[in-house]
Amino acid sequence: MAEKKKKAPASSKGMKVIAVFNIIVILAVLFAAAAALVILPRETVSTEENRTLTKFPEFSLSSYLSGDYTEGIAEYYDDTVPHRSDIKSIISTYILPLKGVKYGEDSIEIYGNVPAKPKQEPAATEPPATEPAVTETTGTGTAPAETTTVPVTTLPDSNEPAAEGEISDGIVVVNGRGIMLYGGAGGMDKSYADCMANYRKELGKDINIWSMVIPTSVSFYMPENYLSLTASEKDDLDSIAKLLKGVTPVDVYTPLLAHKNENIYARTDHHWSALGAFYAAQEFAKQAGVPFAPIEEYEKNTIRGYVGTLYGYTKSADLLNNPENFVYYRPKADIDGKLTVTKYDEWFTDPTEYSLLNDPTKMDKSQMYLTYGTDELITHVETGVKNGRILVVFKDSYGNALLPFLTSSFEHIYMCDIRYFKPNAMYFCQQQKATDVLFALSIYSAVGGNQECLNRILYQW
Amino acid sequence: MVFSKLFFVYLFLPLCLVIYWLARGTNNKNTVLILFSLIFYAWGEPVYILLMLLSAVVNYAAGLGIEKYRGRKTASLITALAVIYDLLMLGIFKYSGFIAENLNAFFSLSLPVPDIRLPIGISFYTFQTISYVIDVSWEDVAAQKRFKNFLLYVSLFPQLVAGPIVRYSTIEQEIQERHASAEDIAYGLNRLILGLSKKVLLANQLSVIADAALGNVGGATAFGAWYGAAVYALQIYFDFSGYSDIAIGLGRIFGFHFDENFRHPFVCKDITEFWQRWHISLSTFFRDYLLYVPIFGKRRKYGGLFLVWLCTGIWHGANWNFILWGLYYGFFVFFEMQLGKKRVKKIPALLRHLYSKPVIVIGFAIFYFEDLGQLGSFFRTAFGFGGHGIFGVQDAISLHNNCFLLIAAVLCSLPLIEGIKKLGEKAAPVRYISHFAAIPAAAVLLLLSSIMLVDATTNPFLYFRF
Repeated sequence: MAEKKKKAPASSKGMKVIAVFNIIVILAVLFAAAAALVILPRETVSTEENRTLTKFPEFSLSSYLSGDYTEGIAEYYDDTVPHRSDIKSIISTYILPLKGVKYGEDSIEIYGNVPAKPKQEPAATEPPATEPAVTETTGTGTAPAETTTVPVTTLPDSNEPAAEGEISDGIVVVNGRGIMLYGGAGGMDKSYADCMANYRKELGKDINIWSMVIPTSVSFYMPENYLSLTASEKDDLDSIAKLLKGVTPVDVYTPLLAHKNENIYARTDHHWSALGAFYAAQEFAKQAGVPFAPIEEYEKNTIRGYVGTLYGYTKSADLLNNPENFVYYRPKADIDGKLTVTKYDEWFTDPTEYSLLNDPTKMDKSQMYLTYGTDELITHVETGVKNGRILVVFKDSYGNALLPFLTSSFEHIYMCDIRYFKPNAMYFCQQQKATDVLFALSIYSAVGGNQECLNRILYQW
Repeated sequence: MVFSKLFFVYLFLPLCLVIYWLARGTNNKNTVLILFSLIFYAWGEPVYILLMLLSAVVNYAAGLGIEKYRGRKTASLITALAVIYDLLMLGIFKYSGFIAENLNAFFSLSLPVPDIRLPIGISFYTFQTISYVIDVSWEDVAAQKRFKNFLLYVSLFPQLVAGPIVRYSTIEQEIQERHASAEDIAYGLNRLILGLSKKVLLANQLSVIADAALGNVGGATAFGAWYGAAVYALQIYFDFSGYSDIAIGLGRIFGFHFDENFRHPFVCKDITEFWQRWHISLSTFFRDYLLYVPIFGKRRKYGGLFLVWLCTGIWHGANWNFILWGLYYGFFVFFEMQLGKKRVKKIPALLRHLYSKPVIVIGFAIFYFEDLGQLGSFFRTAFGFGGHGIFGVQDAISLHNNCFLLIAAVLCSLPLIEGIKKLGEKAAPVRYISHFAAIPAAAVLLLLSSIMLVDATTNPFLYFRF
């Protein structure tokens, strides 16, 4: 039988006084905090997480019966805490660092999973690694918010399905820089090359097709001591270049490596920087045989206080408390009003005149990469360049930063995000009389979950 | 509703406390508790609350029927029918999908697999009602005459959805008449905060390490696999014992004295002792109601043991890894039983620790991996066949990045507070100082936990899914 309760020892008067004091203190904290949570204005947006906070749910009988309504209220209450950003900043700066110490001379910290990667000494009989680049947590443990595998989208407040595969769930912060750990292509380099071959087949021989697979900062900034934590992006880039047939690889790794001492990647964001995109665009223009404006012909703009997406994923105090500059370049042609920029919805309908770049000073500090545009809209730029070259770019968010630097090279540019693009890719290219098609994708999209988008847009109708 | 949410701590609980304390007399206080318990349950289960209410009605009526026909076969029949009803509900809502899937797999059938969402807490309140019906039948307790009182026993929100499994006899008197002294309320508040802190400050943070180590166990080192499983064991302990602390603390605030559900299980020297310290309300339930069920004839000692551990496993979830987990522990308990208590106790304590800890850690790895393929991968890695070496730089980084958290977790798994209490029993100054020091400690822990809750918007207790 269950154990019978023991009688508590008779309490002395002194103990009673302490108990009453105990009750008063704890209830004072409890009720004061409860009152603050009810009275103070609630937050609506989380800039560091790049999302709108939970809204108070709308009542319906079905949502009530499913429990969604009541759980939604609790979710709203917890998610929209007054001064949420300040509290999260306290957590990052003062509480989470109490967990331990940084490791080694490089002060490295790991967030999330170290992705599965090729084995140290593969034996001849061992099967090849089959894990995709973006790893997923298995098992039954609860995954706390800071290691969520929910991928980043550069789209705030979008109702679209979340973009997949742009970010690893294993991140290290080393020397004040957030670096995503790469899991390896695991065979998807071959399927990417196959996919490109399908594009060649469908688009015919008279069109230039370029494949620009963009490495991430792990290829350039991971200290040698920790290379065992990540697979080699360079190996997979080389493998893709070898496997491509009928499609020309654009090697951006080499020029980026040559400029690794410059700010070619953001320290606090999972994207590259404008300068990185410039060197990549330069390499592409060289291979494509089109004119290309030097960096001096751009207006350089610097905004302070940029803390990008990687803080939202890691809650790292090192990232939060060491913001970087967000630097972007505006083409002269844009300043002179020579560019005509039209944005369409994902079906390529509903054209609207736009500016080439958004104003980052009006953005939250975590979202400045949106300066280059949001992902879901198809962008058409008529540049005023008269060389008859028409470029369609199929890209993920990495590709956005290339656009300003291509405006001196092509007569027309169409920027299409593979995750949102609704027309048929082949028909679209034919309709726009494209002379060049560029696939500008981060390696995470090329050999990760977004690869299926490439296949989808080629065959969808 | 989940305890580890600001919504519960700072809205539901203060409202409940104020109204409860405003109510006069046990009967009115019971009404308040029932209302808040029903709101608490209906918050997550607006439909399945009917199932819980039906269970209360059926078992209440069964109790009355057993009492009325006591001494006759009808009483046994009513007991059997009530237990069958309880088990049937559990079977339908928890195991029907699993059973259908496995029948299809083993016998190449194509039975439709029902997709039934598990009603929160059904495993806990069903076991409570079963224990009540059997206890009434065995004349260990008198049947509760007032439905309202019985409903309070079944629905009492502190332990409704994730235990401990409270026996009716434990709170029989307190349902009808109870008093919460200042010491009770202070103890209850501090215990609640302790439980919340275990969950938010320890379990949630440990889960980050465990998931990082076990999430890609195929790519881990041997150390990483053991480290991940050991941290997961600590995580589960703080998660579940934290919930029990909150339940016990809340109960005490309202004047109920629930039995302890955990007694620092990791200090155990052998596996038998581990289960005397881990989820005690479940172990004692099976011990009291299942171990000596006479269905194995002369071999009932071993048959009962097998049944207990099979049920312990499957109670935790409709999956093969849980069954394996239960039988795995059953094997070691059987092994220790065969050795004999006296012989086991003669083995030096250090050796017993060296034997029991790896067994426990592997047990939690079995618990973690619902995918048996992943479990196989864990075993390969843990025993040096994973191909990623014994110890890697990621292990060194993780150990450094979490060293203080790990030390705190190990220390908090030891009976430190109990040690201070024992000292306090002998020396009044220690008692005064420790009780006084507990006040700022509890306030700081409450604030810290609340701050961390802002960062953990979706982190239910793991035992919710049982």
